[in-house]
Amino acid sequence: MEVLTVTMNPALDREFFVDDFEINKLHRIFDLSRMDMTPGGKGINVSMALANFNVKSVALGVLAGYTGRVIEEELRKYSSLITTNFVHTDGESRENITIVDEKNHTITEINAPGPVLDDESIEQFFRRYLMTLSRVSYVVISGTVPPGIPLDFYRRLSKAATDKGKTVLMEARGQLLTNAVLSDSCPKIVKPDLRAEKKCLGKELNTLEDYIDMSKTILENGAELVILSYEIIKDVVATREGIWLLDTLLDVDISHVLGTGDTYVAAILYYLLRRNKNMFEASKFGYTAAVSKLKYSKKIFPTIEDIESIRDKIKVERIA
Amino acid sequence: MKVRDLMIRDITAVFADQKVEDVIKICSKQFFTGLPVVDEEMKVIGFISESDIISGAVPSYYSMLQSASFIPDTNQFKGNLERIKDKPVSEFMTKPRIVKESDSAIYAADLLIRNGWRMLCVVDDEEKLVGLVTRMQLLWGIIRNKNSER
Repeated sequence: MEVLTVTMNPALDREFFVDDFEINKLHRIFDLSRMDMTPGGKGINVSMALANFNVKSVALGVLAGYTGRVIEEELRKYSSLITTNFVHTDGESRENITIVDEKNHTITEINAPGPVLDDESIEQFFRRYLMTLSRVSYVVISGTVPPGIPLDFYRRLSKAATDKGKTVLMEARGQLLTNAVLSDSCPKIVKPDLRAEKKCLGKELNTLEDYIDMSKTILENGAELVILSYEIIKDVVATREGIWLLDTLLDVDISHVLGTGDTYVAAILYYLLRRNKNMFEASKFGYTAAVSKLKYSKKIFPTIEDIESIRDKIKVERIA
Repeated sequence: MKVRDLMIRDITAVFADQKVEDVIKICSKQFFTGLPVVDEEMKVIGFISESDIISGAVPSYYSMLQSASFIPDTNQFKGNLERIKDKPVSEFMTKPRIVKESDSAIYAADLLIRNGWRMLCVVDDEEKLVGLVTRMQLLWGIIRNKNSER
C-alpha cells in the first residue's frame, strides 16, 4: 500500500446514457451497456484509477447500510490492488445518479446526502486512519462529507498525516478546505473543487488574475502545488517555480467529464511515486491523464498507455 | 494456489482497548464472525470471535452441558452479555490466527478445519494485517480456480 485515500461520503455511482433526455418523460433503457453501477466518491475513484496504474492503495471512509455493503463489495471486485478499511455506521450510503445525453452533450446529476455520522463513528474512523498512516507515503483527502462531520475535520486529517511525514493531496471545497489550507498543516498539493461554485477560501474567482492570486495565496500558506480548474477544460497550475495555464489541442467531449478530476489526482501520485518528484511535471501528467479519461463515456479510467499517447497534445503557457 | 489468490483485502480490525460491544456492532454490520485485534502499528496481536463473546456471556459450566435447557431463561444470558459489553476486547481475545499471503491455500484450510475456526488474519512479513480469509472464501477460491482451469 503506497497511498491512503479518504472518502467520508462514498456513493454508489449509477450512470444512465439517454439520448434526447427530457424531464417529465419516461426513458426506458434496453441495452445494458447504456447503464453502469460502480463504487464512487472522490477518494474511492482515486483508488480505482490508481489500480489502473498498478499502484496499491488502501481506501478508508465511512459506509452505511445495504448500499454501503454493495460499494465495499464492488470496490473489492474492481482490483486486488485496493485494500478496504471502512467504518460501517447506521443509515444508508448515498447514491449518485448521472444521466448522460451524448447526443445533446448534457449531463444531469442527482447526488443524495450520506448518513448522519455520530461522534463514535468519526472517532473510530480517526483511530483507523492514524493506524493506517504508518503504511503509506501519500494521503488523498477529497470530496464532500456527510452531515455530522466538524468543519475542521480535514484540517485534523491533514495535520495527523503531515506530522507523520506523509504528503497530503486535498481536493475539497468550502470551509473544510479553507480550514485546512489556512492552518499550520496546509496540504502539500491543493486542488480546490470548483465544480459547484467558482469560489475558493471564501473569494469569488472570475478573471484569470483572480485564479493567479488565489494560487499564490495557497502557495504562501505552505502548498507546493496548486491546481485550479479554469473554464472547464483548462487548468491553472502553480508551483513555487511559476504559474502555468494548461490546455489541450484535442477536441474533447465534456459530457464524459465524470471521474476526470480523480484521474488527475491519481496520475499526479503515480508520477510522484514512479517517475520523479517534480511537482509541475506531475501536474502536467495529471492533466494529460484527465484529458485522456474524456475519451471514455463510462467511469472507465485510462491506462498509462492512453496518457502517453496524447502527451504531445497538451498546450502549456506560462502566465506568472 | 496461495492465500493471496483468495484472501479478502480488508483490514477491518479492533484495538485491544475497544469495547466488546464494538466487536458485536462491527461483526453484525459487516457479516463477520470475528475480528483481528491489532496494535496502533496494525500488528496483529489477537483475535476475537463470536464464540469468544458467547463463551464470556454464558456460565462457565455451559460447555459441559449437553443442552441449553439447563439455563433457566434467556434473561440470564442477556444479563451476562449486558455485563461484558463494556469490557475491553483484551479480556476475551485469543491468540492471533494468522497466515501469510505467500502461504498455500491448503495450509490455510488445514488451520481452519483442524481448529474449527471460521476466519484467519492474513499478515505481511512484519505480522501487520493485510487482509483476511474465511472458510467460504477458501471454498469460493478453489471453485473459481477450478473453473478457470477448464
